Amino acid sequence: MNKFIKFILKLTGIAALVYGALFAVFYYDLDGKFMYYIWEPLMIKRFDSMKRQDTTAMPYSMKEKVQ
Amino acid sequence: MGIGLKDIKAKYKELFVVEKSPEEKNRPRDIKKSLHDFWYGKPHEERRLGDLYVGNTGLYKHREWRGVKDTMYYFNMIWLYNYAHMVSDIVKYGDGPMGIVDFAKGIMRYRWMGQTYLTVMHWFDRGLEGVRDDALRASAWHYRAMVSESIRQIIRMFQSDKKLNGGKTPDKWNYNIAHNETVSGSIFYPFRDILEDIPLEMIPYFVSVHVNNHTVLNYIDAAQSIGLPADPCPMCQAEYGLFVLDDYPDYSPVMVTSNEACDGSVATSVLQDWFLNRPLYAMPQPMRYDDPLVQKHCQKEIEGCWRFIEEHFGIKFDWDQYVKYAQSFNKLTEFEWEKWDVAAKTDSYPITSVAQALYRIYYSQDGDRPIWHEIDDRVKRIMNKTVKNKIRTFPKTRHRAIAWSCAPLYYSHWCTWAYNCWGINCIINMDSLMFDQYLRTDTYEHALEDLGLYNEKAPMRAMAVGGHEHILSLFDYMERFNCDMVIMYDQLQCKGMQGIHGVFEDEFRKRDIHAIWVPHALPDKRTVSRAEIRGIINDYMTTVMREEPLDPTLLDFDDSNSW
Repeated sequence: MNKFIKFILKLTGIAALVYGALFAVFYYDLDGKFMYYIWEPLMIKRFDSMKRQDTTAMPYSMKEKVQ
Repeated sequence: MGIGLKDIKAKYKELFVVEKSPEEKNRPRDIKKSLHDFWYGKPHEERRLGDLYVGNTGLYKHREWRGVKDTMYYFNMIWLYNYAHMVSDIVKYGDGPMGIVDFAKGIMRYRWMGQTYLTVMHWFDRGLEGVRDDALRASAWHYRAMVSESIRQIIRMFQSDKKLNGGKTPDKWNYNIAHNETVSGSIFYPFRDILEDIPLEMIPYFVSVHVNNHTVLNYIDAAQSIGLPADPCPMCQAEYGLFVLDDYPDYSPVMVTSNEACDGSVATSVLQDWFLNRPLYAMPQPMRYDDPLVQKHCQKEIEGCWRFIEEHFGIKFDWDQYVKYAQSFNKLTEFEWEKWDVAAKTDSYPITSVAQALYRIYYSQDGDRPIWHEIDDRVKRIMNKTVKNKIRTFPKTRHRAIAWSCAPLYYSHWCTWAYNCWGINCIINMDSLMFDQYLRTDTYEHALEDLGLYNEKAPMRAMAVGGHEHILSLFDYMERFNCDMVIMYDQLQCKGMQGIHGVFEDEFRKRDIHAIWVPHALPDKRTVSRAEIRGIINDYMTTVMREEPLDPTLLDFDDSNSW
């Protein structure tokens, strides 16, 4: 029983720590700051250098005539 | 060159420290007031929301402290709840944990996904700044619905996308109808038990601009880079820019397009026909949508679309399905009318203008989906409470405004700012009032008649480019919603609305109405910045109305690089 209570207390402690850490992320807008300063520049770099199909090279008149 | 302690301190100060105002610095410490502010949040006039921003980024040094109750509600029921439910939505709509893999593939493939949608909680933040109590709760539920429905569409597109599956055709590809975002989802009710109808530009373009306006500029520039003119509506430019950059998911064997709302959309349809190179049905809508002579033609167009679907998918039109979804959708319409009544006749309407507008345009365009009903039930409970207890949901309201014409997508939350700064409470807007139509289901003829009219009342057509008598219905709505001020959107590249600018000027003068013209270029923040929009409203409020701001820190700040 004693062990069980200890386990529950430990679990509660960990949950409280995680909850507190998440609140800090929320309150100090750390999610926004991560997205803005780290994630978005990485994505911009990725998409700017991505090789894409040249869609304008597609011929104009491939379709059959509309009835 | 190394980073010194001084640099770290300066960066910390820039990112996290809110400077106190001189008055606050000089004020003697009042513990009782500090405790009161901590528990209940600061009074509106003392919030100094503008001090919370980090430079020109729109980020917060810290998120707003709204008092214990509202801050904890925001943290638990908005921030945590939505992050958690985004993951559960991905798993739910993605048929299990593999949905996360499809989602991740999409993030790495599409700019509008990888660069844009992960910043979604800041969309909530911007729209809910300064909002408290019931208004905070009801408005946040609207955002939750839009996020959930967007994830449903995103996952379905990614699961069916040939590009994300190495060019192979996923089975789901054969069961999707792609359509232009201005074609009403209600058109496809007869086939919804078998096919999924997903608007092609809704997620890659329209919703993305609201969430993060950086991405769309790539598409506008891409359209112009192949020699297309820069002066049509930038919405249409962005829509076909997606194709120029090959940044659209290939998730359907067919496409249904429209000429709605203007000539720019005609170009979108033509270019999509070229780029997509697959069976395409163009379903045009008349300029004068309520002309009785055009109704039969429009109904035939819808029937033509249904035949097109039957032909290409080998399935039959199902009347029972249509009735089921149309009747269910009518329940959403009935609640919408209830909301309008509360907004018009009481001070207890608990929804911010931006939440009202975006939710309304999203669900009425998208058509019947379970999430809209779930959210309406939640909002109904909150609204019943505010009305019953006569709660003034926006207690600092000085002016009840109506917003007319189409809004700047990159600054749809201007109304949250206007309330916080000036007490301008935007009660209703044009976009909310479109689709004002019940769908009868007693006979096929009635159903078709109503569906035709409904589709014709699509974005902008009903009140912006559908004839001057509809445009001028602003004044009837102004009276109906008990408004004393007009925010007149001035979309600089909308030829239809530009053409009638002078008529409005005359009418405003004749009727002695306070109207503030808000120029913008729909998704393109480079033409008129958000700061310029605020400047125009500030000028009007100080020089014409001779009023003092509620929160002076919001008068002038730089958010040029914000999402």
